[in-house]
Amino acid sequence: MMDVGRHPRIKLMAYSEIEHVSGFIGNFHVKVRKKARYVDESECTACNDCVKDCPVIVPDEYQQGLSSRKAIYIQLPQAVPSAYLIDMENCLGNNPIACGKCLDACEKKCIDFDMQDEIVNLEIGTIIVSTGMDVYDPTEMDEFGYRSFENVITSMEFERLICASGPTEGHFVRPTDHKLPKKIAFIQCVGSRSEKLGRNYCSNICCMNTIKDTLLLADHYPEVESKVFYIDIRAFGKGFEDLYMRSKESGVNYIRGIPGDVWEDPETKSLNLSVEDTTNGKVRIHEADMVVLSVGVEPRKDMKPLQQLLTLSSNADGFLLESHPKLKPVDSPTRGIFYAGCVESPKDVKDSVTQASAAASRASIILNAGKVTIEAITAVMDPDKCNFCGVCSRVCPYHAIEPADKKSGTYPNIIQAACAGCGTCAAECTMDAISMRHFTDAQMISQIDSILERNPMEKVVAFACNWCSYAGGDLAGTCRVQYPTNIQLIRTMCSGRVDEKFVIHAFKKGAPIVLVSGCHFSDCHYISAVQWTQRRVEKLWNRLERLGIRPERLQLEWISAAEGQRFGRVMRAIEEMRQKVTEEEVKETIEILKKEEEKERAKKVKREAALQPAAAV
Amino acid sequence: MAETGTFKCLRCGHEYEDKYTPKVPQERSCPKCGSNSVRRIGPK
Ligand code: SF4
Ligand code: SF4
Ligand SMILES: [Zn+2]
Repeated sequence: MMDVGRHPRIKLMAYSEIEHVSGFIGNFHVKVRKKARYVDESECTACNDCVKDCPVIVPDEYQQGLSSRKAIYIQLPQAVPSAYLIDMENCLGNNPIACGKCLDACEKKCIDFDMQDEIVNLEIGTIIVSTGMDVYDPTEMDEFGYRSFENVITSMEFERLICASGPTEGHFVRPTDHKLPKKIAFIQCVGSRSEKLGRNYCSNICCMNTIKDTLLLADHYPEVESKVFYIDIRAFGKGFEDLYMRSKESGVNYIRGIPGDVWEDPETKSLNLSVEDTTNGKVRIHEADMVVLSVGVEPRKDMKPLQQLLTLSSNADGFLLESHPKLKPVDSPTRGIFYAGCVESPKDVKDSVTQASAAASRASIILNAGKVTIEAITAVMDPDKCNFCGVCSRVCPYHAIEPADKKSGTYPNIIQAACAGCGTCAAECTMDAISMRHFTDAQMISQIDSILERNPMEKVVAFACNWCSYAGGDLAGTCRVQYPTNIQLIRTMCSGRVDEKFVIHAFKKGAPIVLVSGCHFSDCHYISAVQWTQRRVEKLWNRLERLGIRPERLQLEWISAAEGQRFGRVMRAIEEMRQKVTEEEVKETIEILKKEEEKERAKKVKREAALQPAAAV
Repeated sequence: MAETGTFKCLRCGHEYEDKYTPKVPQERSCPKCGSNSVRRIGPK
């Protein structure tokens, strides 16, 4: 961190917040609010004189509230820049200055109560998001009594208690009597892997963190007896299994089972844990002087605004979604934005450093090249057809379309470098003013035609998105999952590309059933494009019903790349539906749609005639 | 604000009540057959 602070080509803006981001890869405009710290960071030498005189005492967040700090403080001993700041929420008052003791104490005169927030505008080529994570607060888990019993602490609090720069200077003591606890119980997976809490994911770091803690205790306090209660121990990293073995060999007792209840002895303040050992089914009561809850990690609570600013999507757990889990694990779906660390998923230091190095390399490749090569699957505009409705710029999940303005006659402008090629705009534009390179309307229509050219009654036309449904089909194939071959897939990059007219065309050509399938909402590779698919299909169901066509004949399914079995199941169910569609029904549909087309055509002619100048009379 | 609506599965025909927020698309699956072809049929 010190190196980062000193590096001539790195501008570190600590205590700052991103307020606005616009632009696209290579051309981001970022507005940063550099918050006033009321201490000149270039002059402050962290001499600590001001702190001695500050009368305000508040809990120290860095020390997990186990000790206190002043209103003028430094967040952590290794902070970069190594300079103090005034926490104005707790300071006795500015404007007028109510106390000002720090002002007098600072010989170098670095304190400035008139300091204002500063707005800095930056022109940026690429962005790396590494905003980290939050730690789970176990208060809601009544069974562990975190807020009721003082000697039940979290793994973060344990970390502070055993650290040389912690509130006890590394002397490990329990909160109630400040004595060394003789028996310690670690409870794993607190706030992780729990369907009940809606937190299904594994937090990745807690098992190894506990193993490390037990080894620390064994090293420093061999007399302490440690027990670890776990679901299973996940020690999969390099050298991790060795550490686990060392911990076991040092006498740590690993018990497979999570306590159902923890209660305190009101006199000794020690704790009892009732646990079923799942290896033998026996329930036993264990005693401990201290309980450490091995808490999981979670996405930052203040993540949403940044996510919106950068148009990033998150998965069901709330961590940011990568462009591709295997091939582009550090890229965000928005070009030019990369991830490092737990913002993307829970990970340990080594994995965070690896990802950060990869993100830095990915970013510098772009910066060094000075230009970007993009896939040619982008949207293109035909201004002659545009009626300035503005729909395209509203639906684009990447904000890649600069809006139309009828007054000034400005047509929507598709920023090619920002377009990800989902095709949502092309599908939503009722004027057909937008087309997609490589997934053109003509190509889509001719695929539908060729599927339905022969024996249409036996076919199902299925639109499948590249990343999920189509890949789910691939997996079904490689797993030898049987599904009917008369279901014929048309690949689109995103289900958002499936235009209403493709579905109607398929019905006109005699399709008994049409399927639109894409990614689950939380897996959408185009941020939120899948939501437009859903809206469009709902609109189509209404339209079909209005016309007297059974909406059931248009099916919608979300299938992920990992759901090969589900892909097979869905296709078999859809084939059963197809068998129930009669030839009469299909013929009637074709008739209805033809009539509708004729009506629409007549309306269009009338509209155009009304727009013609009266001179023709 | 979430409201309660009637939903129909367009695969198995199952009808059920569920919460929804107007104008906010939400991934749904039929509690009976698991299909995502779930349509809100009321209140209109
Ligand atoms: S949706 Fe189509 S018609 Fe409307 S502004 Fe965009 S390009 Fe023009
Ligand atoms: S194709 Fe998708 S990403 Fe590209 S401009 Fe259209 S809506 Fe935006
Ligand atoms: Zn169903």
